[in-house]
Amino acid sequence: MDAPFVTPTLDYHALAPEIVLVGALAALILYDVFSSELNKRVTAAIAQLGLLGAIVPILTLWAGDPRSMFDGAYAVDKYAIILKGLFLAAGYLVVLISVHYIGEGDYWEGEYYTLLLSSVLGMMLMASARDLISVFVALEVLSIPGYMLAAWRKRDLASGEAGVKYYLMGVFATAVLLYGMSLVYGLTGQTQLRAIADAFASGQAPKPVLSLAIVFVLVGFAFKVSAVPFHTWAPDTYEGAPTPVTAFLAVASKTAGFVALMNVVAVAFHGQTDVLRWMLVPLAAITMTVGNLIAVRQTNIIRMLAYSGVAQAGYMLCPLAVMGTFVKANDMAAADNSVRTLLVYLIIYAAMNLGGFAVVIAVARRTGSGEISSMRGMFQWAPGMMMALAIFLGGFAGIPPAGGWFGKFAIFKTTMDAGALNDGAGYFLAFLIGINSVIAAFYYVRVIWTMVSGNEGDLPQAPLKSPAALRAAVFITAVAVVAIGVVPTLVSHITDNATLIAAATGR
Amino acid sequence: MLAVDTPQYLPENIFFGIIAFIMVVSALRVVTTRNVVHAALWLILVLAGVAGNFILLGNEFVAVTQVLVYIGAIVVLFLFGVMLTRAPIGADAHLDNDQRPLALVVALPLLALMGYVLWDAWKDTKITEAGPPIVASTSVLSDSIFKTYLIPFEAASVLLLAALIGAIVLARRD
Repeated sequence: MDAPFVTPTLDYHALAPEIVLVGALAALILYDVFSSELNKRVTAAIAQLGLLGAIVPILTLWAGDPRSMFDGAYAVDKYAIILKGLFLAAGYLVVLISVHYIGEGDYWEGEYYTLLLSSVLGMMLMASARDLISVFVALEVLSIPGYMLAAWRKRDLASGEAGVKYYLMGVFATAVLLYGMSLVYGLTGQTQLRAIADAFASGQAPKPVLSLAIVFVLVGFAFKVSAVPFHTWAPDTYEGAPTPVTAFLAVASKTAGFVALMNVVAVAFHGQTDVLRWMLVPLAAITMTVGNLIAVRQTNIIRMLAYSGVAQAGYMLCPLAVMGTFVKANDMAAADNSVRTLLVYLIIYAAMNLGGFAVVIAVARRTGSGEISSMRGMFQWAPGMMMALAIFLGGFAGIPPAGGWFGKFAIFKTTMDAGALNDGAGYFLAFLIGINSVIAAFYYVRVIWTMVSGNEGDLPQAPLKSPAALRAAVFITAVAVVAIGVVPTLVSHITDNATLIAAATGR
Repeated sequence: MLAVDTPQYLPENIFFGIIAFIMVVSALRVVTTRNVVHAALWLILVLAGVAGNFILLGNEFVAVTQVLVYIGAIVVLFLFGVMLTRAPIGADAHLDNDQRPLALVVALPLLALMGYVLWDAWKDTKITEAGPPIVASTSVLSDSIFKTYLIPFEAASVLLLAALIGAIVLARRD
């Protein structure tokens, strides 16, 4: 009666980045257990080694052919490899900006890096996940350490509030997401994204329940990427959490949310163009507008970055919102291109945002404050950091020398292309991107203006001295942002073959 | 809606009705009772109902897991949590808050929407044949965990380790 158990064939090369990371995680925990309180700084080094070490198999995989396991449920194609590299790099930069912050504060150091590495592991799994169960487990592996890291400043009520708010909203979103996923499974009997797309394409599923399932899944992910109206946790969590954790949540966690969204929307739901459109176009429009309008009023740089991050999420939703237009026109290459646009934006966004938070941490070491007014006269006492922050904010605003313009331009072009296919929503989103860029430029430039304008009454301050790790993080991200801005082919070229839909569905 | 409507499945349908009724009543009591401990105890009934439904579907392994994990571990954890945090054990008038009307505005339309949609989709659907034999269903489950879902399974163990470490750090007094 029972079929004998057949051991699955594992492709260890495809799993090598994850295996290296888990190895580093185990080494870190063991070292942490057996080391004295004075040597905890080594745990940061182990985490760094693990993250860098995992990049080696990423490079060897990049050179080889796409791989997949478990009948396509776990894919290691160009798309996944790029994202894994991005997550590892982001994790490495977060460790760089954490070393002094965590080491000097009253924090649990070894455990901090343990949770950070587990979260990065979840993100790497997410990049490869092509079935609902993998997507869900990866989402939990990356989120749950994040909930706890947000509350890592144990004696601080604001940090506790950050953690609890993030946790409760996250768990609520997970419940909605799971309900949506269970409806999808109930409709199709499949967990694999490709098989779900095929089952949906056969058109047997009743429309109302199909729509409800997709809406629930999208709502679940919308919380993760802090899209309006599911963004309410973000500012309080970002402000209350330790700032390196904020950087990690704002960059890596949000990117992973978008990866989940891309995997599920582009592979499983891409045929349901009308549901996606009615859900995602308003979501993108509201998210970018509300995010920007609230960001204008912020006086705290971290809250401003939080709301600007909400607005950025709105821009990033645009390519997914118009993807359905291309699918409808049966132009799968263009649909894949809109996914690629988002991929490019995620890379640039990660560099700009991590750099921005690194500068904020460096400045807060001196001022102990996140208020924008405390950055007054920074041009005199921290010219290097000021220039770097100006580059990052200029990037967010889309001012050409910094890399942000290219990502924004690519998204704008995608929405215009969709508009050209007789889709008013494409032009509508393109129009909103234009208006929002102007609003956003206002508050980004205002911060730059505050930094260059000196306060006449103040005594000249001694130059800001930042630790090497922090300076390295700012330097790496600033160089990356400028390099992408000057030579956009750097990112557009490597994403050329990252065809998510084509690779996963064979269309 | 229910199982097959041939006579030999009549007991299943009856039991499903009973279990479903108990679950709905208990779930309502979980959110309306003024006593935290009672809420946890009502939750046991809800979760036991889920286990009962799994048995009706012929999957006793999942049913046993449901009892072990949810009733045996999670509800007991709730009770320990109530005990250790010195939450008020008796009835507490402040368990409720003034968001009730707002919650109703959200919850009732959602209930109506979900109810309609599910009814619309599956009102005529019948389970056409009995599921796989019970023994096989357990081995099918274990096969799929260690075959198709091997990576999520391994990832879940990393998740539990991380959650354990983080929880100890956050919960310990220092």
